[in-house]
Amino acid sequence: MSSPTTVGQRDELVHVSALNEYVYCPRRFYYQRYHDEIGTPYELIDGRSKHQNQSNRGGWVTERYFRSDELKLHGKIDLIESDSEVLTPVERKRSESGQYYPSDEVQLTGYCMLLEDALDEPVNVGYIYLYSTDTRHAIRIKERHRETVRKIVSRITEMTVNSLPPFTDNPKKCEACSARQYCMPYETALLEPEKAQGTGWEDRV
Amino acid sequence: MKSAEGMFDESIVYVTRQGAQIRTGEGRIIVFDVTLDEDDDSDPELASYPIEKVDTINVFGGVNFTTPFIKTANESGIVLNYFSTNGKYRGSYRPTKNTIAEIRRAQYGLSRQEELEIAKSMISGKIRNARTLLSRKGVHGTDVLRDLGVRATKAMTKDALRGTEGEAAERYFSRLDETLIDGWTFEKRTTRPPEDHINSLLSLTYVFVKNEVLGALYQYNLDPFLGVLHADRHGRPSLALDLQEEFRPIFCDAFVTRLINRGVITHDDFNKDNRLADDAFKTYLGKFDEYMQEEFTHPYFEYNVSRRKAIRQQAILLRKAITGELDGYHPLTFDR
Repeated sequence: MSSPTTVGQRDELVHVSALNEYVYCPRRFYYQRYHDEIGTPYELIDGRSKHQNQSNRGGWVTERYFRSDELKLHGKIDLIESDSEVLTPVERKRSESGQYYPSDEVQLTGYCMLLEDALDEPVNVGYIYLYSTDTRHAIRIKERHRETVRKIVSRITEMTVNSLPPFTDNPKKCEACSARQYCMPYETALLEPEKAQGTGWEDRV
Repeated sequence: MKSAEGMFDESIVYVTRQGAQIRTGEGRIIVFDVTLDEDDDSDPELASYPIEKVDTINVFGGVNFTTPFIKTANESGIVLNYFSTNGKYRGSYRPTKNTIAEIRRAQYGLSRQEELEIAKSMISGKIRNARTLLSRKGVHGTDVLRDLGVRATKAMTKDALRGTEGEAAERYFSRLDETLIDGWTFEKRTTRPPEDHINSLLSLTYVFVKNEVLGALYQYNLDPFLGVLHADRHGRPSLALDLQEEFRPIFCDAFVTRLINRGVITHDDFNKDNRLADDAFKTYLGKFDEYMQEEFTHPYFEYNVSRRKAIRQQAILLRKAITGELDGYHPLTFDR
């Protein structure tokens, strides 16, 4: 029997959704974590209400919370499908483009790892379900996926308030980012150009 | 480069209707008139706003919030400010999540020298903007202000900086009279109480802009009561007063001269103790809110921003200077 998690340990666990946030932009993740400053995009609110509606449907195991001190991960899986004894996590995403992103794959891998830790057996497939197109995509979870998750978990646990990550090297991401008004990449590149050195922003001013 | 639009334009709501109640419903903030009789068939819903867009609600006099609304305000991070019917600040309700330890630590941990550097930027920005306002109104011969601006950037102590600021204010106000239409004169700045109509309008506007600044500081989790230049005093929002400095000439005084010069406010709009009469105060509030939403081309970022958003941006820039994300504070200054 494992000993109960202490308050300190619980703080150190990484939420699976954080993996997705971190992959999108480490700086955005930093603001969310330390400054509570990401704004609330309408997509998120919309997604939340869809979650609420769907979790009431029967026939599935929905919104189940998992935690693993060993993986340093925790999180709630949207939906777990059981088909002939095989359990498969499903991650729902709103996606205007009808595509999913590498960061969604990383997040799904996190859920698969949590599930296999709980079941003590391998979970090698997960699904990404996209509302906008009503399509489901099977993702085969490979060792490289798991390695990515472990790497990001350790980066997140090692992050401190004194180490602000640089601006993203892909300013296109900023256009859709709700933390943009606070992050001010363009404005910083104008005011203190040396702060934008080596990022994608130095060429944009 | 275009900034994301619309974020701050509806972020502050003013409610002056006596007997109004603010409720929540279907993801919106609803201003409801509870004073209507049963047989009155006018719509009791006066206005509604999406919760996600609003971060501050200012109420004047007999306006109240329902308890479920307070819960919503807390969860959504909405600040509620209470004022008397003629604009005297009476306190605030602030959401519990509105305290971020790391930001406060950085603010409380500033050294005297770091505070002085930020204050110097603010005051030299204010003096720059004072010159710009006078020059926009055709008042020339303000070289002494330019010199004082330079002196502000070289101040070695806070007292020296305060002295330079005071001298610049005196020089500036001595020329402000020249910006007013016939029938209005500005002799000198008087406060507590303001001794004439123009001083009354200036005081009122400083209070309103101070409240905008206060709201912005709260929004970004800075402690408005710990200043970098204004001396500490119980109940005095020193940091708000500090950050307000650069806006005084270019937003506050510019707004007052506009109200006067366009005849929006006349001498007849005041009562005996130099306060705006009720109707004139409502006109004033409407004009003020409009003015805060009015856009200009940002002198440095070159996109359009409302004055309200510009104030919020300066609060963010101040926070970045305090947390060390930026090397210094960059005031909002206009060269022309």
